[in-house]
Amino acid sequence: MATAVPSIACLGIIGRNNKPLHTTIIPTSTDAQTGSPIPLRTPLQFSLLLSSTLDIFESRARHASSSNTLLSGDFGLLHAVDERLAAYGYETNTGVKFVVVVDMRGRMLDLSSKTGGVGAAGGGGGTGGTGVGLREGELKVVFRAMQTAYVRLLQNPFYDPDEHEGRGGKRITSRKFAQEMRRIGELWVPGSATLG
Amino acid sequence: MDKYPRGSLDHNLPLLVVSGLSTGPTKPLLTDPDLREQGVLIRSEIPPVESREAKTILQYVQETDATHLPWHSRDVSRKHKFKIRTIGREFLLPPRNARLPDEFETPLSPPVLHSPFSPLSPGSTLYPDGLIDTRWLEKHQDLIPSVCLCFYSLTSDSSLATLHDNQLKTDINALKNALSQSGHKCRLAVVILSDQSPSSMDVFQDRLENIRKSTALDPKTSLFVLPTQRAETELESAIDSVLTALFSQATEYYRDLGRHSRKKKGRGIAPQPTIPPTSGTSHTLSLQGWNVRYDFKAAVFSEFRQEMEVAQRSYEQAYETLLGVDVMETIPSWSSRFNDARLLADIIAIRILRCFLWTGQSTAAVRRWRAHRLRMADFIDRRGRGTQNYGWQAWEARWAETMANLIAKVDYPELDPSNQSLFRPPEKVLSAERLQPWEQLHHQGYWYRTAARHSLDRRKLAYLIPEDDRRPVGASATSPSMIKAYTSYDTYMCPEPYEEYPLNGHGTNHSLQIIEYLNFAKAEFQKRHQPRLVAEVALECSKELESIKAWQPLLELLAPLWRDMSFRAEGWWDINEAMSWALRAGAAHMGNAGLVVAIDWELLNKKFTRRPGWHYDIKRSLDHVQVDRTPEVVINDDQISSFISASFVFKQDEGRAGQTCPAQLSINSNAFAESSPVVLEEIQIDFEGSLRTIRLKHQANSKSVTSSAKNVYVTTIPLVETEISTDDASDEEDSDEDSNEDDSDDASQPPQSVILEGESDLSLLPGHTRVFEMNLPLREAGNARASAVQVSVAPETFTLKYTMKVRETNTVGSWYTIDGRKKITRVNPQSIKVLPRPPKMEIRFVNALKQYYAGEPIQVEVEMVNEEDVDANTKLDVHLYGLDVPAFKVHVTGGAVRSSVASGEEAKLNGMPVGTISQSQSEKATITVDPVNRPTAYDLTIKAWYNLVSDPGTPIVQIVAFQLNIVNPFEASYDLVPRLHDEIWPSLFDHEGVQELAGEDDGIIQPQGLAQKWCLITRFGSFAAEDLTILDLDVKVLSTHGSARCVASKNQAIPPNGLKMAPKTMEEAHFDVVAQKLSLDDRASSTADLAFSITWQRSSNCATTTNSPSMPNITTFLIDPFYVTVSEPRVLASVSYSTTSPGSPSSHPSSAPLQLLVLNVTIENPSSHFLTFGLTMEPSDAFAFSGAKTTTLNVLPLARRSITYRLLPLVRGAWIRPTLVVRDKYFQKVLKIIPTEGMKRDVEGILVWVPEEAELQSKDRMKKPQDIEGPGDPSEGNETSGNEEVEV
Repeated sequence: MATAVPSIACLGIIGRNNKPLHTTIIPTSTDAQTGSPIPLRTPLQFSLLLSSTLDIFESRARHASSSNTLLSGDFGLLHAVDERLAAYGYETNTGVKFVVVVDMRGRMLDLSSKTGGVGAAGGGGGTGGTGVGLREGELKVVFRAMQTAYVRLLQNPFYDPDEHEGRGGKRITSRKFAQEMRRIGELWVPGSATLG
Repeated sequence: MDKYPRGSLDHNLPLLVVSGLSTGPTKPLLTDPDLREQGVLIRSEIPPVESREAKTILQYVQETDATHLPWHSRDVSRKHKFKIRTIGREFLLPPRNARLPDEFETPLSPPVLHSPFSPLSPGSTLYPDGLIDTRWLEKHQDLIPSVCLCFYSLTSDSSLATLHDNQLKTDINALKNALSQSGHKCRLAVVILSDQSPSSMDVFQDRLENIRKSTALDPKTSLFVLPTQRAETELESAIDSVLTALFSQATEYYRDLGRHSRKKKGRGIAPQPTIPPTSGTSHTLSLQGWNVRYDFKAAVFSEFRQEMEVAQRSYEQAYETLLGVDVMETIPSWSSRFNDARLLADIIAIRILRCFLWTGQSTAAVRRWRAHRLRMADFIDRRGRGTQNYGWQAWEARWAETMANLIAKVDYPELDPSNQSLFRPPEKVLSAERLQPWEQLHHQGYWYRTAARHSLDRRKLAYLIPEDDRRPVGASATSPSMIKAYTSYDTYMCPEPYEEYPLNGHGTNHSLQIIEYLNFAKAEFQKRHQPRLVAEVALECSKELESIKAWQPLLELLAPLWRDMSFRAEGWWDINEAMSWALRAGAAHMGNAGLVVAIDWELLNKKFTRRPGWHYDIKRSLDHVQVDRTPEVVINDDQISSFISASFVFKQDEGRAGQTCPAQLSINSNAFAESSPVVLEEIQIDFEGSLRTIRLKHQANSKSVTSSAKNVYVTTIPLVETEISTDDASDEEDSDEDSNEDDSDDASQPPQSVILEGESDLSLLPGHTRVFEMNLPLREAGNARASAVQVSVAPETFTLKYTMKVRETNTVGSWYTIDGRKKITRVNPQSIKVLPRPPKMEIRFVNALKQYYAGEPIQVEVEMVNEEDVDANTKLDVHLYGLDVPAFKVHVTGGAVRSSVASGEEAKLNGMPVGTISQSQSEKATITVDPVNRPTAYDLTIKAWYNLVSDPGTPIVQIVAFQLNIVNPFEASYDLVPRLHDEIWPSLFDHEGVQELAGEDDGIIQPQGLAQKWCLITRFGSFAAEDLTILDLDVKVLSTHGSARCVASKNQAIPPNGLKMAPKTMEEAHFDVVAQKLSLDDRASSTADLAFSITWQRSSNCATTTNSPSMPNITTFLIDPFYVTVSEPRVLASVSYSTTSPGSPSSHPSSAPLQLLVLNVTIENPSSHFLTFGLTMEPSDAFAFSGAKTTTLNVLPLARRSITYRLLPLVRGAWIRPTLVVRDKYFQKVLKIIPTEGMKRDVEGILVWVPEEAELQSKDRMKKPQDIEGPGDPSEGNETSGNEEVEV
């Protein structure tokens, strides 16, 4: 019996001024005709999804400032747009935001031990029929890896972060960075301890 | 949720029928005509209570109705929840048992009758094998009250008391009987209202007791007495306690019913219907079906009791049984009971969800929600028509919507819009589990959005219905496809395929459904400050609006979003693009040209993705758009981000008014490479500050474009000043003159109306950068910056004006040259600092001198030359700075004279009127500074303030500074050497002379004392930088100390036209100073203060300055005091020369005449002692002498004696040294011999000069080769006679 396992569908880096700096879309669905992997949503839809998380970043920041609580970098679950896609967020000290969109059914794993399936959905157990869920903070490792990659990008003397902010800013064009993002997105499974 | 049968999903509350308060007609409980016929009438004969209090009570009771309370149990203060129905005095209860059908013949045994709502009764819709339907729910919720509350009044009139009380008792008992006979177990409760106050109720105690006894009502649970004579709040709390008591009654009532259900389930047999079914199938409800029914009933009764957890367990049981193998699995999918069972499953599931939500288990609720969906999908796939059809998606949409409605009803405080969170955290027990993110209950907006998405899928599937199935059912009823359609489409709660998407006419309006869901979602997102998500939903919404061609709503929806789109500012280009295209379609249909053009303008940017087949030509923007007139569209770069970017660069960061500064405007196009070139009609550059607006106009085919590398085209445009006709065209004639005028003369005209114009070809190809180089005339001083660049496009159909702000950035501007790009290193190159117009008034110092000398009045002449093109009104400020500034005066030629006052370090004279200086004329002023006596330096600053006659408002300043260097023209040094006074000293013994003179008393004391003579030798050098003419030299005796008279006299004449002194030369002057003591008795030495003054003038400047040569300057030096009389004896040596006459007897053959030197040694004894001196003359090789070789000389007090030696020098032209020793015999002290004229001394003694023969012969003045210069005294030499010893 195949069990759905969450996987990353999209990684987004959003700049200090809410500018999209980078988006990596990872196919988590399969084309009905050809069977080849395709992204679950269109790039436009992923853009909309990433941008909609900004509402939440802003609202939580507002809330934190009004209630005088310190906001830690990890925002945890931002929101789930539907049963499959959920966005998790992280904000660095410099206001750069990392958003991970997880497809809760991005991968199918053959787990012979699991016999749940749709038939046993009534119990509402953690994995019953709908696949593996996520614990609080399971994406920390992704954010850490993304931050490491971003810091590495910043260390490149030819990368000027100011160029990417402000009017008509550029996006991140580093191929190495994009590869790293893709690698992180493809490598992660729930419970990964490290993505190094 | 509204689509489910009415009442099926309502939360069940105990029904309370309140009777006897309202007099008006009330809605009957039982409306079904069939049941009404059989209904049991419950009626009270006593008229309703009509009092003010009764109305208050009624109103309060009605307000406590709990039907619309949110579905949660957080409000713990509320002790009772009722659904309250108020009636008059009568109501109908439904019949306990159904009737037998009329046509049915009476069976042998009496039939067992069942409830009309039971599947056992033939008249029921459920007969024979239905499970349960909403009519049963309706029965308990709306028809059969748990408690019937009757209000009566207790009369306080004692005469009527008995009668009234008896009526009351009868009525209550009648009611009780009627209720018990109906078969329903409704409770009866009675409230007796009294018009007394609670304290005065004691008198009625007996009557009340009587009523209680005869009606057998319990005063705690069913008989209440309410004295109404009290405050309203007290009354309300009394009613509250009544209702609370009733609520426990109601709970009991429903508990009994629940127990009854369980008892029936516990029997474990399926009851037989009243009549076995004969028509259709003979299938009756199975035992498992009955168990579903019993469990459901038990659950509902638990809900009536507000015991949600118990209810949930029962519901789960019912649900499991229903979906178990024996109930739903056995129902064939073609049967109508199939959908009934699905409906029941939905209802049970929703009720379970409510129980979860009620108890705060939101995550469990989401799981349950999904579990039901999966279970149903699985079931439909196996037993029904599958999930790949529109019917399933319709259900999915409904299922999501149901959850949204439930969430709204439950009203979690965590999901309140005022709260920040968008979802509810999981229950504590679950928080450690692996959770699906969706299981954290999100607010309704997300669920509505899910519903919308399923509606989209529904439409997609509906559109896949083949045409055969979309024909109306009547047209081809017998076609085989009908049967197929019947079996392959899930029509559970949705229309048949020919209604869903009919071949002809309108079917289900999917778009409206979707839009409705999206609008719900949008409202929720809006409430929770999720503007970006709102925009996203709006974008989805717009697609639907587009599909139903609702252009106006689309425009209203998107236009505001498009205008202040955060996506644009934040660079989400794809979203920006999607929204733009969506809006453009609407705007084009609505004829909103402004939006269409603006969007087209924005979408030309190549950062957007290219839409295939699109023309990308701004000129064709309004093709196929209905506009009534040529629209003018004005947009700026805050509104949209265009493909055109502009920058403006001044070449220099500073310029002067009246000059020009080169500047470049570069316009860059980032349009799609295939797009048509944009021909700009006009470019306008606006400036902040003093610069004039530039307007560049398009002129086709002007061939001034210079190509350069990388698609950069530099064009030089000459600018012409043009006056634009702001209000009328009368100024046009002037424009030619203005434009011909070269420079700055039109400063008096208002600058707003004058612009700079240029012409060029302004077409802009995609990817190109056009650079327009211009020479900007700078007009006024101040800071100026380019603020905005406006480009206009004006094809035939519209006019577009796009304004770009030139922003203050820290980026470095670029200056383009024909060769390539050259960076300008400064930041903010769009601004320039215009310095004031350089003054063209010239101030010149006429004949200013490098140096001025102490003691002379300083005259500085200033000439102001007006080199402006017009006359200038001028004023003059003169400032003099320095230490101890002297006063000065200024004289303007032909005008005023004003003087300044000296004050410390600054002397000034402001606003000296000069008057109008005509063009290219000049005016002079003379500044005269009072003489200064010491060397110093002053700064002289002259400011000329002037206004041009043409522009009196602008003051122009010219400043000239000049340094006055004042130096001493001379330096002098002094020497006072003794001389032999040749008058005879007064005799000590001449008492007459002494007496006589001493007796005189005519004011001036004739000195009688010893006189001594000195020679003051002054050496002065010229420190001036030029030749000076010495007119006179003088020594003045300023004062004497020590009672002596001192007279100085010049012994040397100055040439009549002065002695010319070159710079850095020295001159020497000798003065005789004769000092005489006033009294002979006074023998103390005395001193004199002398002053040396030089009268001089400049020798070179006489001709050029007005400083007239007749005013010589006098420079005076003060000399340190000298001793002019001494009291010690001294030895003065003097020499005189004599020559033997040519015819003298002593003839040395052919030798030159022998020269004799006469050396007189004079010993002065001003003391009062008698002194004896020994003189010794040593012989020498250099001369022979005659005179006493050794002798003794006695000198009397106040007397002097001379001794003469004749020397015959043996050398010529050399110094000889007579070694003469004068020794004071008494003190054994050698006296120093002091030389006088023609002599000198060194350490060993005195020296006498022997001149050459020629010198003597010519009898000229003797010139000494060395520094001692002094003419010999020729008068003395002749008397020398050699009568003493001559030694050779």
